Amino acid sequence: MWYKIIEIIDWFGEMTERHKLIRDFNSAAKNSFINGHAATLLEAKITWGESDYRHTFSKFLGGGFRIKALSGKSMPKSELIEVGKIVLDNEALVRKLISLGWDTLEVHDSRGVNGCKWALKEYANIRGFLN
Amino acid sequence: MNYILLQINSDPIGIKHFEQRTIIESSFWFLFSIIEFFIILLILFKLFKKNQNLEFSLLDKDSLRKSQGTNIDMNNLMANINNSSDLYKKLSRVCHPDRFVNSPMEKIAEEIFQEISRNKRNYEKLGMLKTRAINELNINFE
Repeated sequence: MWYKIIEIIDWFGEMTERHKLIRDFNSAAKNSFINGHAATLLEAKITWGESDYRHTFSKFLGGGFRIKALSGKSMPKSELIEVGKIVLDNEALVRKLISLGWDTLEVHDSRGVNGCKWALKEYANIRGFLN
Repeated sequence: MNYILLQINSDPIGIKHFEQRTIIESSFWFLFSIIEFFIILLILFKLFKKNQNLEFSLLDKDSLRKSQGTNIDMNNLMANINNSSDLYKKLSRVCHPDRFVNSPMEKIAEEIFQEISRNKRNYEKLGMLKTRAINELNINFE
């Protein structure tokens, strides 16, 4: 019984942490756009994700971490890939994303529905988790 | 008298309407409860399903919590996204070892260039390498 209560508390804690990460990303992106460091305004949001990329901690109907270009300069595919690779290069961020229930990283342009997808589990260093 | 007769006549019709309405209402709520039941079943299935075959099933909760508590510097991430590629291009062009052939700084240039290639998406590290290039290779970035 207590175990279940702790699990419920953990679940709420995880949800808060997920939304905090999204909020931090969005405010940092907004600040860099306003200050003129970024040519494109980026926004992160939670999506369904890809079912093939699921892992043990994947959240039901919330496994996708989407970075979307909102306004400003349009981004070609090479730039979308570059943004994705920068996120995937940050090992601590990838581990955090996985532990908070995300399984797919999506980077989308402001125009159209096309974008790039990566399976986060392929970029997580399992030793990093264990150490 | 007429009114009473009308009342007697209209009553059975009223009862019929009432019965029909209750049947429709009850069938609607029955359908609603069935859908609700299936949604609850689906949620319970998702909650208690063992994900043994999926990736990371061997990880314990403690290591997971440790990763959840990591602080990520989002401003640094934004700097990586927005500025790292430009700085990388600039540094890799200026610090290329071919520019220091047959000079005492050739080895240092090689070392710095390798570091630059390794940290091509890390703006902070590239900034440090830029200062190192200014100090050790006497490069003027102006």
